Amino acid sequence: MLSLPPLSYNIRSLFVRWSSTLLTVIGIGATVAVLAGILALQQGFASLYSDAGREDVAIFLRPGATSEGESAFQRERAEILIKGTPEIALDGDGQPLASGEIYLAVRRAKLDGGETNVPIRGVQPASFAIAGEAFRIVEGENFTPGSNEVIVGRALPRRIQNCQVGQEIVFNTTPFTVVGVFDYEGPFQSEVWGDIDRMSEALKRPIWNRVLARVKPGTDIEALAERLEDDKQVPAKVLSERAYLTGQTKILTALLYILGGLLGSVMGVAAVFTGTNTMMSAIAARRREIGILLAIGFRPFPIFLSFVFEAIVLGLLGGVVGCLMVMPLHGVDTGTTNFATFTEVAFAFRVTPTVLGTAVIFACALGLVGGLIPAALAALKDPVEALRHR
Amino acid sequence: MPWILLVKNIAAHPFRTFLTIGSLIVAVFLLCFLKTALVSLQAGVNSSASNRLIVQSAVSLFVDLPLNYQTKIEGIDGVDEVCKFQWFGGLYRDQMQFAQFGIDADRFLSAYPEVNVIAGDAKDLEARRTACIIGTKMADAFGFQVGDTIPIQGTIFTRPENEPWVFDVVAIYESTSPNVDENTMFFRWDYLDETLEAGSAYGPRGVGVYVIKLATGADGTAVARTVDERFANDSQRVQTTTEAEFQRQFVSMLGSVPTFLSSIGGGVLFAIFLAVLNTMLMAGRERTRDLGVLKALGFGNAVAFTLLILESLLICTIGGALGVGLAKLTEAPLGSGLRMILPTYVIGSETAIFGMGLALGIGVVAGLAPAWRAAGLKPVDALRSEA
Repeated sequence: MLSLPPLSYNIRSLFVRWSSTLLTVIGIGATVAVLAGILALQQGFASLYSDAGREDVAIFLRPGATSEGESAFQRERAEILIKGTPEIALDGDGQPLASGEIYLAVRRAKLDGGETNVPIRGVQPASFAIAGEAFRIVEGENFTPGSNEVIVGRALPRRIQNCQVGQEIVFNTTPFTVVGVFDYEGPFQSEVWGDIDRMSEALKRPIWNRVLARVKPGTDIEALAERLEDDKQVPAKVLSERAYLTGQTKILTALLYILGGLLGSVMGVAAVFTGTNTMMSAIAARRREIGILLAIGFRPFPIFLSFVFEAIVLGLLGGVVGCLMVMPLHGVDTGTTNFATFTEVAFAFRVTPTVLGTAVIFACALGLVGGLIPAALAALKDPVEALRHR
Repeated sequence: MPWILLVKNIAAHPFRTFLTIGSLIVAVFLLCFLKTALVSLQAGVNSSASNRLIVQSAVSLFVDLPLNYQTKIEGIDGVDEVCKFQWFGGLYRDQMQFAQFGIDADRFLSAYPEVNVIAGDAKDLEARRTACIIGTKMADAFGFQVGDTIPIQGTIFTRPENEPWVFDVVAIYESTSPNVDENTMFFRWDYLDETLEAGSAYGPRGVGVYVIKLATGADGTAVARTVDERFANDSQRVQTTTEAEFQRQFVSMLGSVPTFLSSIGGGVLFAIFLAVLNTMLMAGRERTRDLGVLKALGFGNAVAFTLLILESLLICTIGGALGVGLAKLTEAPLGSGLRMILPTYVIGSETAIFGMGLALGIGVVAGLAPAWRAAGLKPVDALRSEA
């Protein structure tokens, strides 16, 4: 049985040297906050896509395409594809729940100056049936099929010019009227939607970009994908909506992980050095006390453990401070370009439990690593020598 | 001024000094890295040529322009030459590893005098349909040499059975200006178009942008306006901009990324300031007795003050210099690893001065608190203190 020195001794000692403790804790906190901020950005971005994707909705693209912007189907072939795929679910009237969509990122002026690429999507009525209750009109009304009316995602009116209900928005040379604002979780919030045929004519794009369909319950989308990959009539790349949307986040997610990993580890090194310095000075000031602990019979290893514990508490405090620093970021709106589609998406930072947990664990690890050397030095002191110190 | 004491003080706690300098190195390195990233993102804009204009669709970056626009643009006064550009967007080893553009073999090099062929023969580009020229960064990263073939998987332009396109490397170029990325492949647009026409590949037929090389002395603004007006009622409206403006639209796509990088830099700066302050406060506390002796010997308050400020400055100078050195040392590997994101990762002298300046600033500010205390110490009290 190990007999540990009372841990309250270590905790109290942190408060005795409060100025040094405070500086270290804030230093570790800043390191952790940077890492947590990057993770919160990644979470906000990735969840925008992965939360929106459904497993029972299939996306059909041209083989080889990695995003809908690259994909293309001739209209007749897309219709053959829809008719010839028995896995597609039917609506009440026996019609396939499938919709062709055209997709193009167009130049738009931002309200705060500059230009950005805003995706516009031409849809068929079935798109709304497939979206189901997740799609809601929050202001105005839905566009009338066949008319020059559009609806905009709810992230657009406050970012992009001419996106208020009642305003006119010109695509190429054709004016469209904004008649409503919709809420549809996911990247769709940054899109403009309108009638596929009107859009197709205005943009002079007869080609459909993708086909979207709800599949019958129990359909194995992977098996469907395998079958259609080498289909003689209309070869297509098929994946579930969730897989498609998650795939769209890969580039930016990888970038953010690299950035977070790089900054976290490099700043972590600096934080460990600071932690070590603090513990060294804390232990130097307690040489005599350590001598007494050793003299009254505590073994070196428990003493080592107690100082490591002290260092971990230091890290933990830093982790808490870091979390407090990053909390205000939660829900803050930001936007960046998704480099998979070169379009701007709006999303909010999300400080999730995962982010906070990672931050606290990282902080404790920093404290632990920073405490190892000083704790070992403390434990290996010669009691006589230590006691002699005044 | 007791210089020896300064050195001895720093050497008194070698481990602590080492750790403090260590964290400074890391922090200054990071600050240089972030600064370089910000500069690099802007590099394409700042180094753009003023004698070139870019004609793109007014509707969307992703809409192609008709083929017959080329001769129409060439007919406009002030236009010397027009070169096609088409983004290919293909994958090498399943990833987007470098950009590929289809260009006019007979015009590209004269429109881009900053592109210098350093291996192979530029004439082969005109001689062989499947030819391509590649930048040095790309050649170095994948070990490509003149005579090699590069298989590229099309995404916008796909071939039956998803077969790859194959291009022959006939030359390697280097660029004297950062606006032409050396991690890029240029191949013949007519090869792409002929393949599409023959039905051996699928994809849109057209031209992404036209690059105008202005005639000597031509007024770019006037030419741009004329081009835009020329096509106002044609099948595709166009938007003609300077090369800088064209590059800027990609920078503005980054949205809040530059702000984000700057705030990370702020966090790094703050953390390292606290670390140095912590060290200097510890040092100041330990010196109390020494300072008492010094003052008792007749040295003034100014000497005590200077002693601590200089100690802080010295640590930060060493840390800063090594940090900048580390940034410079890692320039090549980092630049190669990040070539897709930051095409011009170069630690310039401006960045080096920036890093050193911040380190020295931290040194002064972190030294102030203990130095102040040292100056105000009463010799009697100081001598009475322990350790």
